[in-house]
Amino acid sequence: MSKLTTSINKIRSLEELAEGGTAVHRLHPMAKLITTFVYLLAVISFDKYNISGLMPFFIYPVLMMSLGEIPYRAVLSRLLIALPFSFFAGLANPFLDRGTALYLAGVPVSWGLLSFFSLMLKTVLTVSAVLILIAATPMDRLAGQLTRIKVPKIFVMQLMLTYRYLTLLTSEAASMMTAYHLRSKEQKGIQLRDVGTFLGQLLLRSFGRAERVYYAMKCRGYSGEYQFAAGDKMKPGDYIYAISVCAVFLLLRRYNISVIIGSLIEGGIL
Amino acid sequence: MHMADALISPAVGGVMMAASAGAIGYSVKKVKEELDEKKVPLMGVMGAFVFAGQMINFTIPATGSSGHIGGGILLAALLGPHAAFLVLSSVLLIQALFFADGGLLALGCNIFNLGFYACFIAYPLIYKKIVKNRFTVKNITIGTILAVVAGLQLGAFSVVMETLISGVTELPFASFVLLMQPIHLAIGIGEGIATAAVLCFVLKSNPLLLDGYAAVDGDKGRLASKKVVTVLLVAAIIIGGFVSWYASGYPDGLEWSLERVAGTAELEADGSAYRAAAGIQKSTSFLPDYGFKNGGESSARAGTSASGIVGGGITLGLACLLGYIISYSKKKLNVKANNVNQ
Repeated sequence: MSKLTTSINKIRSLEELAEGGTAVHRLHPMAKLITTFVYLLAVISFDKYNISGLMPFFIYPVLMMSLGEIPYRAVLSRLLIALPFSFFAGLANPFLDRGTALYLAGVPVSWGLLSFFSLMLKTVLTVSAVLILIAATPMDRLAGQLTRIKVPKIFVMQLMLTYRYLTLLTSEAASMMTAYHLRSKEQKGIQLRDVGTFLGQLLLRSFGRAERVYYAMKCRGYSGEYQFAAGDKMKPGDYIYAISVCAVFLLLRRYNISVIIGSLIEGGIL
Repeated sequence: MHMADALISPAVGGVMMAASAGAIGYSVKKVKEELDEKKVPLMGVMGAFVFAGQMINFTIPATGSSGHIGGGILLAALLGPHAAFLVLSSVLLIQALFFADGGLLALGCNIFNLGFYACFIAYPLIYKKIVKNRFTVKNITIGTILAVVAGLQLGAFSVVMETLISGVTELPFASFVLLMQPIHLAIGIGEGIATAAVLCFVLKSNPLLLDGYAAVDGDKGRLASKKVVTVLLVAAIIIGGFVSWYASGYPDGLEWSLERVAGTAELEADGSAYRAAAGIQKSTSFLPDYGFKNGGESSARAGTSASGIVGGGITLGLACLLGYIISYSKKKLNVKANNVNQ
């Protein structure tokens, strides 16, 4: 039950965040969509042993989150879902790739350890970037942009309907769950023999709801064709933002700022 | 089984994205041909249903573990494969955006692994062939379980291939496969039973909701040879999965498999052949870049690497400081604005 209610809360809190009015929120959704994709591509295209090159990429999530007033704990709760997966995928690396890559203050560091940390960094960066996109852009505006990049209308339409009914059906499931638990003794989940009836009930209710949704749409002139609002045009500022931010990502991808700073400091000290 | 962005390379992500986009385009065309204007609202609500349904865990007797319904076959059996594929794709997109369950660049991989195999391979080739317009509890149960298992096996194999081609893990192919397939067999059987239970309930309460039920003309077909072939095919997949069987209560098969491999000492020993392969992979890795590649060989390079780490730390520190300053000054400004308002 808690799983159902926490997921509703997560969606609601992200929706609330997306309603904000900061400079990040005011950017055109398309500009944010493009920069997010360029960022993700730049981050995952680093080779698997690279750590220093990834460090400068922290500037994007840090800047956007403080400018967009996105709380850091939102990243943490998402990392809880994404990180274990990457963690176990990378866990084998330190065991299997044991050659010494470099000595750090006299302590040997293996290739596997480097690739493991690189994978963890990539996970943190990519998860934060997607969070920034969704926490600063309302879902309907984002979906509106999908038709612009030629995603079929019918797909966008049912995506929006799914999104709209998520919280509704999830809370319906949550109340059914509560009812089930009240009627049964201490149990964690649903008994296997009750699954068919339980989910079947939910399914029939969903079908009934779909029917009512259809009639409601019909009353409002739905005829199988879907109309989307054109949405606002990108302003010059949005173009400048998208182009300059992508350029910075590409520069950071090309030139390793960490190494440059590091060697400047070593040169100065030594 | 949702893959994160960090687990794939841009090439793998791009190829799978293109493949999934193609499948979406084809499905849209097919759904449009049906000319059923009722379908779109139904698809939307069903997407929400699968999303909610997958969060309801049921207990598997005698194992102490839990599972949930599989979305692909259930949706296909209700909406038909094309509409089901579209619904699953949008559920995966929402999961990626709102829950970080699977990445955005990895969306193509996830749609393919979890949607394509279930809707376009397992459903038409296994479920449909076994049910064969004879909608009985027995046919639906067998067809659903086998289809869910086969779809999940293909998906799990796909995850292995995509991860290995992306080159983020050092796991050798054989051990990765031998660990992924059996655990997803166990998950598949659990998901299959639950999905079959739901479909049987629908059969009893409102069979017209099942895909293809309305078209049944009362013809009682005999056991066709195609059906036998299908059963054999599925049996082969299952027996293949049984090669090494581990019963498990772990929630996620992929994590469990990987943890298992990382924990075995056996693998560390036979490293020599693997190391050669890793060497080749290192020199041919996608977008070879400045890194620590030759750092171990020459002290000069090692020096650069160390300075890279020092510099990296400083860069990170600067980024955090900048963020802190912005947040701090924003807060100050807000407080000031509030004071003025009052």
